[in-house]
Amino acid sequence: MAAAPKISAEPSYRDIDRSVLRVMEPAGLAYWAWIGFCFTLVAIAAALWARQIYTGLGVTGLRQPVMWAIYITNFVFWVGIAHSGTLISAILFLFRTKWRTAVYRAAETMTIFAVATAGLFPLIHLGRVWFFYWLLPYPNERSLQPDFRSPLVWDAFAVSTYLTISALFWTMGLIPDIANAREAASGWRKKFYTVLAMGWQGTDRQWRHYSMAYLLMAGLATPLVLSVHSVVSWDFAMAINPGWHSTIFAPYFVAGAIFSGVAMVITLLIPMRRLLGIEDLLTEWHFDNLAKVVLLTSLVVSYAYITEAFMTWYAGDPIEQMTFHMRYFGPWGWMYWVMVLCNCVMPLLLFSPRIRVNLRALWIVTIFVNIGMWFERFVIIAGSLTANFEPSQWAGYRPSITEIMITVGSFAWFVGLFSLFSRFLPIISMTELKEGIVWLRKALKMDRATAA
Amino acid sequence: MSTHLQKAHRERGAMKPRAVESVVGTSTRAVAGAMIVLGATAFMLALSRGGAAIAWQAYLVNLLFFLGVAQGALVASASFYLTQAKWGGSTPYRLGEAFAPFLWVGFFLFFGLYFGRSLIFPWVTHPIAQKAAWLNTPFLFARDGIGLGVMAAASYAFIRVSRGADARAWTIATDDIQLPPHSIRVRAPLVAVLFAVVYTLIAFDLVMSLAPVWRSTLFGWYFFAGCFWSGLTAMALTAVVLRSRLGENNLFTNSTVLHDFGKMVFAFSVFWIYLLFAQYIVIWYGDLPVETFFVVQRVHHLPWSPLSAACLVLIWLIPFTVLMSVRAKKTPVILGTVAGLGLVGMWLERYVLVVPSLSLDAVPFGPTQFLISIGFLGAFLVSAMPGLNRVAQAATSGEPVGDDPE
Amino acid sequence: MSTVAIISSFADDTQCANAIEQLRAAQVGDFNTFSPIPSHRIERAIGRSKSPVRWIVLAGGILGVLAGLAITIGTTYEWRLNAGGKPLLSWPPFIVICFELMVLLGGIFGFLGVMMLSGVPTTEMEPGYDGRFGEDRFGIVVRCDEAEAARIELVLKESGAEEVVREGA
Repeated sequence: MAAAPKISAEPSYRDIDRSVLRVMEPAGLAYWAWIGFCFTLVAIAAALWARQIYTGLGVTGLRQPVMWAIYITNFVFWVGIAHSGTLISAILFLFRTKWRTAVYRAAETMTIFAVATAGLFPLIHLGRVWFFYWLLPYPNERSLQPDFRSPLVWDAFAVSTYLTISALFWTMGLIPDIANAREAASGWRKKFYTVLAMGWQGTDRQWRHYSMAYLLMAGLATPLVLSVHSVVSWDFAMAINPGWHSTIFAPYFVAGAIFSGVAMVITLLIPMRRLLGIEDLLTEWHFDNLAKVVLLTSLVVSYAYITEAFMTWYAGDPIEQMTFHMRYFGPWGWMYWVMVLCNCVMPLLLFSPRIRVNLRALWIVTIFVNIGMWFERFVIIAGSLTANFEPSQWAGYRPSITEIMITVGSFAWFVGLFSLFSRFLPIISMTELKEGIVWLRKALKMDRATAA
Repeated sequence: MSTHLQKAHRERGAMKPRAVESVVGTSTRAVAGAMIVLGATAFMLALSRGGAAIAWQAYLVNLLFFLGVAQGALVASASFYLTQAKWGGSTPYRLGEAFAPFLWVGFFLFFGLYFGRSLIFPWVTHPIAQKAAWLNTPFLFARDGIGLGVMAAASYAFIRVSRGADARAWTIATDDIQLPPHSIRVRAPLVAVLFAVVYTLIAFDLVMSLAPVWRSTLFGWYFFAGCFWSGLTAMALTAVVLRSRLGENNLFTNSTVLHDFGKMVFAFSVFWIYLLFAQYIVIWYGDLPVETFFVVQRVHHLPWSPLSAACLVLIWLIPFTVLMSVRAKKTPVILGTVAGLGLVGMWLERYVLVVPSLSLDAVPFGPTQFLISIGFLGAFLVSAMPGLNRVAQAATSGEPVGDDPE
Repeated sequence: MSTVAIISSFADDTQCANAIEQLRAAQVGDFNTFSPIPSHRIERAIGRSKSPVRWIVLAGGILGVLAGLAITIGTTYEWRLNAGGKPLLSWPPFIVICFELMVLLGGIFGFLGVMMLSGVPTTEMEPGYDGRFGEDRFGIVVRCDEAEAARIELVLKESGAEEVVREGA
């Protein structure tokens, strides 16, 4: 299967440190070429955005009635991706789940960069970006204030809170690890880590406050996760548009967010563990459990699709029924069925324990899930708008090159930032892995037993 | 009583359930039996004396509530396997399974609704053409009956394996990351998925259809989340009650175990109110008359608004504020009181969901409804007795308990 | 007499916790512990009261709710916009804002509280700190008079210290 194991079956604290810190050694040409490629795509997207700011939103494909399309889809998609990180790092922490330790740092990092990516999209979608501050309340002589009864304002608060809290939680978790890296490093890296570690020494006093604060932050982050994607879903559910006005949106979107997010974690971690040589710290046991979360949330999403279909028929509202008919059988119908295949059918394979630990198969399933979840957002957002109340207003939507390249650029931005981080800061939490070393040893033993 | 139990269970041999006297005394059995008789009598009397409508309302509310508790607790046991919970050895599993016999009782009682259908379902006397393919008597009773039957059968298939030696050995192997036995890994997810599907159907058919114009896509999930919470809360209450009745050194004297129950009651009450709020804010914001009337009747207008407020207080406000502190969760009296109040609140919630659709202008609650509810409670207690014995055995067997206490 | 620092290192947190208990039994109070992970055993051995961070977070949360109420109610009164016939003071949306601000300020206060209480950021390292305490060793550094030093070193060695070094402080 893999090359010879790099750590023993009974790793010690030092083994963990060495494995993780080895990743942070200076990288080769291939790595920098990849970073260059990612940021080239970002630069292209940035240039097109600059052109959009200069010329106006007409360079996009947005036309009445489809005024929310790819940009908002990307926004919802990236906020969704972000949720898995907080689920794994905060919620599973409260559940005292054993397998979380090796994956949570990478997942949380994904959260930060996903929220940062998501936060760009409302700005991109604002034609006049420089007026973004109008969303926030500030004193002015014309007594103009944001309307707090609008879900878009709730969105601004929810996503900013999420970005801040995730960043703080992530930073807190990083500090002891960076202190560790500081000791092992030399040269400019040592200075870099010394500044970032802020003088952390792991005294009993520091750990006492840290442990309690970490627990409390996890306790705060948990309802935050539920609330943020609920608020994002309410951007749509508050409207009375058919296809949008549905009470199930809040928990359905949260489940979908966790679904797409954990799938993205798996999509990133499987190549990453091979490229960075940390196969021994990210065992099959971790992926088995991650895959189960994907399966569970896939079932929830399927439940939501079926409930919505049933309720549309049951309610008997002809307009709503027409919108859903268009969703299933209209010009964008192919997208709906691809989405069902990716989100509902393919994850059923994860009922098989053998597929869950077959990393190649698992990776393919999660790629499909990522595609399916992006399509789902598009189908709900843009699809519902193409066939709405007024038949004379029905129209199609064709994304322009600006929108496409900015979408591609957002993926490149996310993956590029994540790749940068993985080489410069500890991608696995050494502290927590050491705390849970007993379970790591059991997982390795189980892994080696099944491989043998 | 207790020393007899402990002596007998010092041997770790095959555990056969002891006689009912062990945990539930004969007096309790007698009282429960009397409750059933009272309830049945009151029901029959009401039917014959022209109070049939209120009798059937009470029947439906109690059926929904107690079936929800029994099934919710069983699904909790399945969820413990799925989350590999070893914080209490095998006892939490036995506790979740303790109310399972009522699943079959409820299954049979469900068919009793057939006889009152014209007084319960408005669409029986006034069929709605557009929905007739779904809301008609034969189809509804067939699908819900089959659903409840399959649910009970699957629950028992799960219980059979959960009570086996393999599963029990797994629950007390606190030091292991091995998964539960294979048969559990098949049956527990099946129970969980069936629960979501069947209880969504029950919610749509037995509660939402009473106001056939209304709809809410989240309603099914909201309903079965309430069932799940009421199951957990009943388990917490039972744990507190058994703690004092089981003598020294039973598992429930371990404050960590109570703490874990308290955390679950706390967390899922927050989840419940989140689902309530998610429905409320969408309906409020859209302000569509076809959706708002249901909420307005119950929450904003007399005579139902004080009852809705009471539900909120009992199900969310009290658990949230009282059970926030670690010490409160570990104090049996506090946990037990909050759990008891919570169960009353959830019963009231079922009442507020069902009855205004059938009797809007007055809150019908008199001796008839009270006695019928007592009858159902008696039936629930009687069906729980064998299960509670197993809980007592597990709780006094001195099993190792996993996980570091905080 | 001059004060010295005794630096000891342990391979195991149980041994370290034992040593701490022995030290406390021997009336030695002036010591510092280093560990690579937060250890419940060591925390219990040292036996200090619960961290006050939770009060700081609570204060932040309450402040957040109040700020949310202030912002939403205040701005709605300043610009009385009729939004779809909804009442001026609509509590469902305001709850959302108050909740978000509660979490935001609670979290920020918590983070700043931890930094402050932990004495971080700092450029001064505690005496006796060494890189291996971040890697895989648990350390106890005792500051005492030279006269006491021998007794304390004995206590530490008996508790299983791998290495005991005395340094003139």
